[in-house]
Amino acid sequence: MKDLARLRTAIKESVELALNQQIQMELTASSKYLAMAGWCDRMGYDYSAGFFYKQSEEERKHGMKLFHYLCDQGATAYSPEIPAVNQEYDSLRSVFEAVLEQEIAVTDSINRIIAICRRENDFATEELLKWYVKEQMEEEYIARRCLDLIDQIPADQVYYLDKKLSSVTYEDNVFE
Amino acid sequence: MTSNIPVTYQEVFKTDKGVVYQCDATHRLILEFWDTHTQFSARDFTHFRRMVETVDIRQMALSTAAEHDVEILALPRSERCYVLTLCEIVHLRELLSGARLMLELNSMLRECGCTVAE
Ligand SMILES: [Fe+2]
Ligand SMILES: [Fe+2]
Repeated sequence: MKDLARLRTAIKESVELALNQQIQMELTASSKYLAMAGWCDRMGYDYSAGFFYKQSEEERKHGMKLFHYLCDQGATAYSPEIPAVNQEYDSLRSVFEAVLEQEIAVTDSINRIIAICRRENDFATEELLKWYVKEQMEEEYIARRCLDLIDQIPADQVYYLDKKLSSVTYEDNVFE
Repeated sequence: MTSNIPVTYQEVFKTDKGVVYQCDATHRLILEFWDTHTQFSARDFTHFRRMVETVDIRQMALSTAAEHDVEILALPRSERCYVLTLCEIVHLRELLSGARLMLELNSMLRECGCTVAE
């Protein structure tokens, strides 16, 4: 008997479901970052706003990368439903705390999907997800570094803090 | 249930309420359930199985509202739909999950280089 599902795609149902959930997560992250950008913009944190506008686009790209991968492999990618996201924050610190929590949740999710790939012997998808593992190291680093800066820079130097936060990058990612 | 089954049909799974066949010539899965006969692509079959799996049968069982007496499932790429009672959903689930298991077994056998005798 022919293996009809395999003829259509190399991607197993469990991996397809997990990747679709990840697409949803990335696009939700994009929406959250857009809300953060809007809040920063309103509050006059122009540099941080710029940082989050860019971040919002990045997250959309993360989702689209998976979307195209599923389509190219003959699997089904679903355009996800995005839940309502928080639009208001108490402070710049609470924004970056939300960023760190968000990125940790994404890292955990990527790790879970890699575990599924291993169970299903899906080495191609695992290979693709390695890019996300590196990406998450960077994103968590940046979020933590920003929280450090918020603690280190005196509260009255708002302009300097805003500018400094938006310039944080991870140059020495050991995996790069 | 049909008595004259095409020669290209191979039985995937059977319960006393229905059968799932696979036709290697047309790459279709055929679901016979009570008096219905539906052909699916592999993708649509999986999609339909998920639809049946995600019906909230708890709500159907507990609710007294008329709208929860039956579940209407639109068939992929078709004008038709299934109108199913709680009991029928349970029977259909049994049939589809049995078929899923046999299809997965077929995949596993292929992966390790074995084939089922035809
Ligand atoms: Fe991301
Ligand atoms: Fe991210």
